[in-house]
Amino acid sequence: MKKFLNGPWVLILPTIIVLTCVVFLPLLISLWTSFTPFKLTKPDTLYRFVGFRNYERLIGDYDFWVAFGRTVLFLTIALNLELVFGLGIALLINKITYAQKTLRTLMMFPMMFSPILVGFQWKYIFNDNIGLLNNFLREFGVINPIPWLVDATLANISIMAAEIWSSTSVFAILLLAGLMGIPKDPIEAAKVDGCNSWQVFKNITLPFLMPFIFIAMTIRSLDVARAYDIVQMMTGGGPAKRTELLWTLISRTGYVDAKMGMANAMSYISIFLSIAFTFFFFYKLMEARKILSYD
Amino acid sequence: MLRLFLSLILAVSFFGSFSAKAETELWGDYSGVTLRVKLIGGGQYEGLYNEVIPWWEENTGGKIEIVTQKNHFELDKEIKKDIASGNLDFCVASNHTSFAAQYGSIYTDLNDIMPASVLADYTPLILDHSTVDGRLVQMPRHSDVSSLYYQKSLYEDADNKANFKAEYGYELTPPDTWDQVKDQSIFFSNPPDFYGTQYVGKEEAIAGRFYELVVANGGALFDEDYRPIFNSDAGVESLEWFIDLYNAKAVPEGVLNYLWDDTGLGFASGTIAMNLDWAGWAAFFNDPENSKVAGDIGLIRAPMGSGGLRTGWSGSHTFSMTETCPNKDAAASFLWALTSNKAQMIEARAGLSPTRPAIWDAIIAEKEAEGDEFMLMVFETFKQSLSLDAFTPPLIPEWIEFTNVLYPELQAAILGDKTPQEALETASKKATEIMEDAGYF
Repeated sequence: MKKFLNGPWVLILPTIIVLTCVVFLPLLISLWTSFTPFKLTKPDTLYRFVGFRNYERLIGDYDFWVAFGRTVLFLTIALNLELVFGLGIALLINKITYAQKTLRTLMMFPMMFSPILVGFQWKYIFNDNIGLLNNFLREFGVINPIPWLVDATLANISIMAAEIWSSTSVFAILLLAGLMGIPKDPIEAAKVDGCNSWQVFKNITLPFLMPFIFIAMTIRSLDVARAYDIVQMMTGGGPAKRTELLWTLISRTGYVDAKMGMANAMSYISIFLSIAFTFFFFYKLMEARKILSYD
Repeated sequence: MLRLFLSLILAVSFFGSFSAKAETELWGDYSGVTLRVKLIGGGQYEGLYNEVIPWWEENTGGKIEIVTQKNHFELDKEIKKDIASGNLDFCVASNHTSFAAQYGSIYTDLNDIMPASVLADYTPLILDHSTVDGRLVQMPRHSDVSSLYYQKSLYEDADNKANFKAEYGYELTPPDTWDQVKDQSIFFSNPPDFYGTQYVGKEEAIAGRFYELVVANGGALFDEDYRPIFNSDAGVESLEWFIDLYNAKAVPEGVLNYLWDDTGLGFASGTIAMNLDWAGWAAFFNDPENSKVAGDIGLIRAPMGSGGLRTGWSGSHTFSMTETCPNKDAAASFLWALTSNKAQMIEARAGLSPTRPAIWDAIIAEKEAEGDEFMLMVFETFKQSLSLDAFTPPLIPEWIEFTNVLYPELQAAILGDKTPQEALETASKKATEIMEDAGYF
């Protein structure tokens, strides 16, 4: 006992206790509920074990897998577009010598809005009847209103536009930090050796930026995989489930239908999605660091 | 009960310019008592609290602590979480007849708490709708049913009359059937500037509209054992009504994302000919500052379906008392105050439909005395709708869960992703699973 009290365990004990209470215990409880028919309105159902019934139902649930696939697609497209736009903004701001600090602050404005507010404002912009966009297009002769939030493709694009507007600055800020940290010597040497701008970007700037890109990708992949507020505000996953993502489905199942056991089973399956994306980006991050000989 | 006394005073109450019949009051001395309450929020609901809470506090010495004030769907989620966590540390909460059955036995049976003379002041049918498994779990605040608002000038226009008769073969008058609503909507529509009608297009809202049309068309959602039977001729006919209007562009294209505010504001914008809506919008529609159709509004009972019945999906906003409330006498007094003659008159003046017969008489008398023809028409029409046409959805805990499997299928059919039969078949299978899980059969 004395040996234990003097050992390293004592030092990490507070961390273990906090992690157990805040992370492991809730995870275990939610895992348990996924094996029960737990309904929020019937607390007794928490103690009824039904084995893998929720998971078995989900395996055959076409709607769930469509939402799963759509979430993967949404993640992939949104992350890549955010990367492209964020990188572009970061490169432009990095070139500026006047009012750079002001622009950096302005760039962060979208991040300051709550996702619910972002959802409301974009819902209004894309409203087919009174929306800003359709009224703007009307000035240019587009008489028939475009059903932005009804058509399957347009609705998903509209939601993606809101998500990208809201979060591209995360990429831009992280990549700008990376750009500012790149040593000038290799770039100047390359220019002296006759490299053009594209060659400098491709062979020097981009490899230096890759660790930052993958860190940003990891952070944002977890954010987007939890995308809920914006989608809920703009379409609620509809119409006809055309914009249903995992978290609108899970939220409705858990809190509106009160079927928390089923919702947690959905969550545990969808966690694999987050783990897969995180693992992939971390793997790429390690590779990028190796190239730069950080490790 | 031991610490405080409950006084039952029979008194004649005078409120402003009207005199209601004798009301049983439920005052008491609740000095030192604080009631924690969770209330529905929003512009149309909060005026009541601003007047009744100070009134109750002044008369009883008690205090009201509002723990939560949010829209009903958010409040519903919060209460479900409270049930799951066993944290029911409040006394009074807003409720609704369509939602109440979900909450199990967390709310007190008010038959045991409220004196019979108090209950006698409410419309008996509404108290029946407020009863779950034989337990009166809520005191009714105001009732909802929809009637059909329309732009009068459209029906007075000579060209419209002549053209409509030439095209459809019958006179253009405010519609008495839903088929006529469809004809007239298509006739009036001139998208994207003007639409014949609109409907709420998602969640419980469209499921409820579909439900009432199925009933009006002679069908039903469930049989006696709660087996789904809406995949029927009446179900298909009802769904086709929504589809036909959508395909004819007689409703705005984004209608499937619309909820109640969207349809209300749409009618007020002057771009909609007919709008099925509740009484709460009436004053707003007729206010020139908010509405382009002010002064040009007609109102009739909801039209009939092919089964000869009028649509009349109805429910009541209510207040409930938790079983865990430490001072039920004080909570009962507050529930009475929130639904008293005074409270209902406040809401009736805003256009809401009272749940006490005395207030119907009082508000109609008041509007007659004021010469307010429009509001008089509103109250007389909604009084008829509530007494002749209203019916509730199935008052079962699974109602909301059921609507969540039904509405995406209705939307899929309206958008043409599925045929009406395919959509209703899928919804029926999912509904059967819900009812089986709930142990109905």
